[in-house]
Amino acid sequence: MTALDPRYAWVRRLLVLAILLAVWEAAGRANMLNPLYAPSPSQIGSALVELFGDGRIWPHLEATFSAALGGLLLGIIVGILLGVVAALVPFIAELIEPVMTLLNAIPRVVLAPLFVIWFGIGLSSKVALSFILVAVLIFFSVFTGIRQIDRRLVERIVTLGGDRAALVRHVYLPSVAAWVLGSLKVAVGFAFTGACVGEFVAASRGLGYLLSFAQSTYNAALMMAIIVLILAVVLIIFSLAGRLEKHLLRWS
Amino acid sequence: MRVRNLTISYSGEPVLEGASLDVDEGRFVSLVGPSGSGKSSLLRALIGLQKPLAGSIKTGLSRSEIGILFQDDALLPWKTARDNVALGLTLNGTTRRAALDEAETWLDRLGLGGLGDRFPRKLSGGQRKRVALAQVLVMKPRLILMDEPFASLDAIVRARIVRDVVALVEREKISVLLVTHDLEEAISLSDAVYLLSQGPRAHVTQHYAVPIPRPRDPVRARMHPAFAPLYEKLWSDLSREVDYPRAVAA
Ligand SMILES: Nc1ncnc2c1ncn2[C@@H]1O[C@H](COP(=O)(O)OP(=O)(O)O)[C@@H](O)[C@H]1O
Ligand SMILES: [Mg+2]
Repeated sequence: MTALDPRYAWVRRLLVLAILLAVWEAAGRANMLNPLYAPSPSQIGSALVELFGDGRIWPHLEATFSAALGGLLLGIIVGILLGVVAALVPFIAELIEPVMTLLNAIPRVVLAPLFVIWFGIGLSSKVALSFILVAVLIFFSVFTGIRQIDRRLVERIVTLGGDRAALVRHVYLPSVAAWVLGSLKVAVGFAFTGACVGEFVAASRGLGYLLSFAQSTYNAALMMAIIVLILAVVLIIFSLAGRLEKHLLRWS
Repeated sequence: MRVRNLTISYSGEPVLEGASLDVDEGRFVSLVGPSGSGKSSLLRALIGLQKPLAGSIKTGLSRSEIGILFQDDALLPWKTARDNVALGLTLNGTTRRAALDEAETWLDRLGLGGLGDRFPRKLSGGQRKRVALAQVLVMKPRLILMDEPFASLDAIVRARIVRDVVALVEREKISVLLVTHDLEEAISLSDAVYLLSQGPRAHVTQHYAVPIPRPRDPVRARMHPAFAPLYEKLWSDLSREVDYPRAVAA
């Protein structure tokens, strides 16, 4: 067996993908696939072009992005706050930890219908779902992170004459930032999951809503186009998050 | 520095009991003891990281005049070598600019010129040790407490760093208290050696003067005629100290 050059892995992957798409397309054109269930790549492509062409996709993209980024931001802030407080105040930890463990154990998307009842079918219920997905994740990474903080670093700051503020600035903040950044990619994925599932359950806008619309009208081409779009969106955000992580954690 | 009747206990039986030792100004003093005898605990008590159960510590120095070099480097991983070295100065009110300049000077002095921008992860063990050393020296300490700082280094790197450390403390007339389990290292570097018996309730024995002149080359010191007899004596005393409590228990 010859060794594969790892630098060209992406070329090989792309090539195989292209072949698969070509076979799929050919099968579609040869009427071997029912377009009702399995539209060909070109049909999916034209559905995508259509979505962007008449501009009606933008409000949906905006809705999903707003919900996902809103939930992400809120989830990170609240997750950090709760994590820090729980790590520093044992009484609070006693209260919060079991709740978080429970929330962590269940598939949190089951809360979607409840949030619709509580917050209506507008943006807030989607933000809430994104938020709860992200907050629990961030809480645990901060909570466990602070409890495992490197004692030696703390002692180093103290022996160099640092006070509490110096400890927070030079040890606690960078540590917390590192843990949050470490789970940032997963959090981004969670945030979009929350937004889309929330929209799928009940909404009048958003990619999740379009998905449920495509489903109710049996429009497989539209559905696949939206799935491709969601994939693309998440991949772009992922790579941005990845870059941010790589830059900020360049010391590790 | 004068330490009198220091007793350290975590919970239950004291780790160290009634330890007394002196480090006179400009002297290099070692404390040799087996692992677990309480050497690290003693140093932590001297620097105030650990509250002793009893005893007194007099240094006549301010907090920032005492430096400590830990067993492991404990550099902040998210700060560059230069920022790590500058840290102590900025924490004590020096402006960042001045602190960074001073840090650069010490990096150069310790043979780390050009490595100031590296993060600790990108440095070798020996380089990290030198950064940790610069971090302490930049504070212009009058006394440095060292907790087996060279133990993790391989022999050649270790010999070089030890030689540089000795040259620096001799030149700057810095007092040193080195704790180690390495008897040879203790004799070759020190003016005086104390032995610490096996814990719990470890105690410090009388001190042994090392009659090897300064300035000293740590490698050459081992070939000095006074080295072997002293080593012999300390070794037999240490063996007795280590085995004695077990013999009693048996
Ligand atoms: N934080 C601690 N809590 C409880 N026991 C400790 C702690 N640190 C050290 N000890 C105990 O004290 C004894 C001496 O430890 P240490 O001072 O690290 O010895 P040495 O540095 O000579 O190896 C050991 O038995 C160790 O288990
Ligand atoms: Mg130790």
